[in-house]
Amino acid sequence: MTSTVVLPGVPALAGVYARGAGASGRLAVARRLGRAPSALPDVVYTVSGVRADPQQLTAYQHLLGEPASDRLPAGFVHVLAFPVATALMARTDFPLPLAGLVHLSNHVEQHRPVTLDDPLDVRAWAADLRAHRSGTQVDLVTEVRTGDTLAWRGVSTYLARGIRLGGDGAPASDEERVPFVPPTPTGRWRLAADTGRRYAAVSGDRNPIHLSSLSAKALGFPRAIAHGMYTAARALADVGAARGDAYVWSVEFAGPVLLPGTVTVRVAHDDADGFTFAGWDARSGKPHLTGTVTPLAA
Amino acid sequence: MTDTYLNLVNSGVTKKLAKQLGLPQPAPLRRHQPGQPLLDGPALVLGSGADADTLAALLAGGPGLGWDLDVHRHAVPDTRYAAVVLVLTEVVHPTELSAPVLAAAGVLKGLARGGRVVTVSREAVADDAPAVAAARQGVDGLLRSLAKELRGGATGNGVVLHAGVPVDAPSSVGALRFFLSRRSAFVDGQLLVVDSSAGTLPDDWDRPLAGRVAVVTGAARGIGASIADTLARDGATVVAVDVPAAGEQLATVANRVRGTALQLDVTADDAGARILEHALQRHGRLDIVVHNAGITRDKLLANMTPDKWDSVLAVNIASQLRINEALLTSGDFTDAPRIVSLASTSGIAGNRGQTNYAASKGGVIGMVRATAPLLTAFGGTANAVAPGFIETDMTARIPALTRQVARRLNSLQQGGLPVDVAETVAFLASPAAGGVVGRVLRVCGQNMVGQ
Amino acid sequence: MAASTPKSRTTADPAGPRRALVLGGNRIPFARAGGKYAHASNQDMLTAALDGLVARYGLQGERIGQVAAGAVLKHSRDFNLTRESVLGSALSPETPAYDLQEACATGLETVVALTNKIRLGQLESAIAGGVDSTSDAPIAVSDRLRRVLLDLSHAKTPQQKLAAVARLRPKDLAPAAPRTDEPRTGLSMGEHQALTTAQWGITREAQDEIALLSHQRLAAAYDAGFFDDLVTPFRGLVRDANLRTDTSMEKLATLKPTFGLTLDTPATMTAGNSTPLTDGASTVLLGSDEWAAAHDLTPLAAVVDAEAGAVDFVHGVDGLLMAPAFAVPRLLARNGLTLDDFAYVEIHEAFASTVLTTLAAWESEEFGRDRLGLPGAFGKVDRSRLNVHGSSLAAGHPFAATGGRIVATISKELHRRKAAEGGTPRALVSVCAAGGLGLTAILEAA
Repeated sequence: MTSTVVLPGVPALAGVYARGAGASGRLAVARRLGRAPSALPDVVYTVSGVRADPQQLTAYQHLLGEPASDRLPAGFVHVLAFPVATALMARTDFPLPLAGLVHLSNHVEQHRPVTLDDPLDVRAWAADLRAHRSGTQVDLVTEVRTGDTLAWRGVSTYLARGIRLGGDGAPASDEERVPFVPPTPTGRWRLAADTGRRYAAVSGDRNPIHLSSLSAKALGFPRAIAHGMYTAARALADVGAARGDAYVWSVEFAGPVLLPGTVTVRVAHDDADGFTFAGWDARSGKPHLTGTVTPLAA
Repeated sequence: MTDTYLNLVNSGVTKKLAKQLGLPQPAPLRRHQPGQPLLDGPALVLGSGADADTLAALLAGGPGLGWDLDVHRHAVPDTRYAAVVLVLTEVVHPTELSAPVLAAAGVLKGLARGGRVVTVSREAVADDAPAVAAARQGVDGLLRSLAKELRGGATGNGVVLHAGVPVDAPSSVGALRFFLSRRSAFVDGQLLVVDSSAGTLPDDWDRPLAGRVAVVTGAARGIGASIADTLARDGATVVAVDVPAAGEQLATVANRVRGTALQLDVTADDAGARILEHALQRHGRLDIVVHNAGITRDKLLANMTPDKWDSVLAVNIASQLRINEALLTSGDFTDAPRIVSLASTSGIAGNRGQTNYAASKGGVIGMVRATAPLLTAFGGTANAVAPGFIETDMTARIPALTRQVARRLNSLQQGGLPVDVAETVAFLASPAAGGVVGRVLRVCGQNMVGQ
Repeated sequence: MAASTPKSRTTADPAGPRRALVLGGNRIPFARAGGKYAHASNQDMLTAALDGLVARYGLQGERIGQVAAGAVLKHSRDFNLTRESVLGSALSPETPAYDLQEACATGLETVVALTNKIRLGQLESAIAGGVDSTSDAPIAVSDRLRRVLLDLSHAKTPQQKLAAVARLRPKDLAPAAPRTDEPRTGLSMGEHQALTTAQWGITREAQDEIALLSHQRLAAAYDAGFFDDLVTPFRGLVRDANLRTDTSMEKLATLKPTFGLTLDTPATMTAGNSTPLTDGASTVLLGSDEWAAAHDLTPLAAVVDAEAGAVDFVHGVDGLLMAPAFAVPRLLARNGLTLDDFAYVEIHEAFASTVLTTLAAWESEEFGRDRLGLPGAFGKVDRSRLNVHGSSLAAGHPFAATGGRIVATISKELHRRKAAEGGTPRALVSVCAAGGLGLTAILEAA
């Protein structure tokens, strides 16, 4: 029986992270003792009547290169709603440690436009805990409704590196990985050293790996890295108005973007009505992210 | 370009000091301003006979008849005269000079600052009886010497009438007025021959060039810019011409005089055609061409190089010949046209280091003499102006001591200003100067070199 | 393709609007960035160009119907740049003026906009123009400092003021220099064109040939005195500073490529076959037949028609500077003309390869069929008719001033050609611009 946790509002990520860190520590101890949870908690977190803050929206739109309209970019809906899922991940009975989770991919279906005036009802749960070649991955599903209508649905896939949950057998064999060949670029992002801090300011996601070299080094990165969702949202902004009202925005994160840094990008029409995008390091030819934006039949 | 010496000897302690030391005492020259009276004091007209009466009547006549001056026929004691006009056209023997000249002598000490002495006489020619010729040529020596005696910025000049030219011919009247006026401030000791009765007097002496279209070459700066300003002030529509490289200054001049700028190298083969095309197309006519563009490339002849010689001749004279030919053969330069060309005292008296320049400027004098008769059929004429030491950017580059000496080597003991040259150009370009045919008028303060 | 039905139009059509004429032009020589005009502002240069025009055509104190000009790099204090320049010029202070901005097409757009007004009878006379200074480009304060200063100006209490200032960090005081990168792609114009160059397989040699010809033709025109009544010197500069009379294929071949270095095709674009940053200003005198006659001005050319275009370079559909490749076919179709009907084709040399990729697109069967919707290739431009007196590679390219340079130059050439050979020769003018823009126009000898 699925339980529902009704939150009074969207939790602040800073608190969630703190709790998550605590939970991760307890989890590590529990795992050593063989008492760690190995299944996802059967729980749905909900918040209703969430409203966007116009100033935060404007700041987000300016930072990402979106027009400052009253329509919430899909990435901003993620910013609003995802802390609800993060709160779920910070539970003590969540089987993977929040600290150190790697954002592998993100899949958003924007079913209908969401505007500044819409009160949003958010539901979040975890699903599909499964093996990955280098650990365990899980989907965090977040749904946003306006009234009774599903407006936005996001699936964020996270990897807990090096954590094997027993009983699931061999890791699912990865599908054939196509080597990345840099295409003809259409643009370039020059990302300043403060890119992480600036996105943190508009998203509330103040994960230390994004904020400064010092804090990133403490967590094993040579320098601060850009938020994955920042790069994905830049690509979505580059697609621009051509994405239409309803679309699927899908991204896979292949390698971190160290800050400051330059990402060479291609954002172009695919063979049908959609767009493909990719961002890579022009020097090494290694990808940072790839993805698509395709129209969603109404 | 400031003549510091001139300023010093005319102010305060230094003025006194200069006087005690017997240093040259140049007087600041008064120059023409539109609307000001011709003379600011009475004029004394000396000489007997019909010509003297005619001129006295002209000077004294009221509006519509003459210049409305306060004219005396006999010297009134203790009167400070602004001008003395010696009408000597009817002298037939040197002894007849005595009465009018001595009458003039009596008023010279009281001559106003910037006063004027003008002789009006007839040209001495070989056909004259010896006594007549002696009397007439005597005026020449008299005037040149008198001019050297005048002080306080006063000048002496003469109008010399060719045989058969009446004393009230337009050019006689025009020249007399020019010499009396402040327009001739730096013209001194000169005798201008009036060759014919051609020419017309202006309706408005302040705007004698109204309705006329004038081209000025080398108009971007210095004397050329001043000529453009002066012709425009006198009513002309000015086409300001200079080399493309001087275009920025040229535009400034053209805009100042509300004329048009034509960037053109006067040595170009089609320069004449382009000048004519521009003037006709933009202004409907062409009446006056002032050949002012000129360059110097000084070198002793022993050290002369072909490029220095050839470029000076090409710009200073060959271009003028080619442009004149284009104008004269066009059929569009026929309404009392005027060519005024810039010569130089170097072209008359010679100047060390300027064989090329003097050849070109001497050439100008020859050119206008031969060109003017080709224009008289249309009421036109060509004349030259020969500046002496003029304060310009060019003369400012002369070493300081040389420059100081050069300035004092004339009766007015100072350098002239570009506007002095421009005023003379404007007079020779005016309708009244139609009877002055192929002459050279010097603007040199009666420089000691040459004639 | 637009669904409009192609309709043949001529200026002789009595039912159509009246003619709008190019009567002359004036520009100052173009200087290299940091050169002779390093300390001249946009207003200084535009005023100088206007004054030169006024001097050439005797327009002192004249009340011109309207003056339109603009600058691409503009200080905020220059919000009324054109009007301020008019007030500083010898024109009547009662001459109205407005600013216009369309990146590198600004100059040509002012010509199009004003000639349209003349054709409609709203204006009898006009002056079009443009100016740009890369030496005196606006330097902005950082976004954070700007925000703080604005908040400070709105703050009422000392506490609010302190709070605003407290947000400042030392690095916020560093100025933000203007970038010429495309805002939506982060790529410079050169990098964009490098992609297009690679796409169309344009060789280094072909680009260097275009550059060499541009220098040779501009130099020849200067030497022949062609620019004597088109250019007025400024600040001691008599000819375009970028003009290299002594350049050669050999010299051009020694230059190292500067754009397209990270592509997998050989980099071909160098400082020699790309336009340098330039300072300068240009003006074009426009008027109706009646006004020209009343002012004894000789019509040089009529501005017949114009067509703007734009491409989706953001998503790599077309090269950044390829809009004219689409606009010209539309323009010619509307006028019932082909490329062969033009005695002159002026294609702004943003880069040598811009000219070549445009020509390549027009010569491509595939491009003609798939992108232009034509049965085959659009057509071929006879190279002897292309940029006959040189173009931006030699003259330089002060962004907004280029349109005026081209229009005045080719109008004079059209008039000269008509006077020499009769007929009514036409010229096609094509200017590409940042933002994937293009503006094209047809002129014919008047």
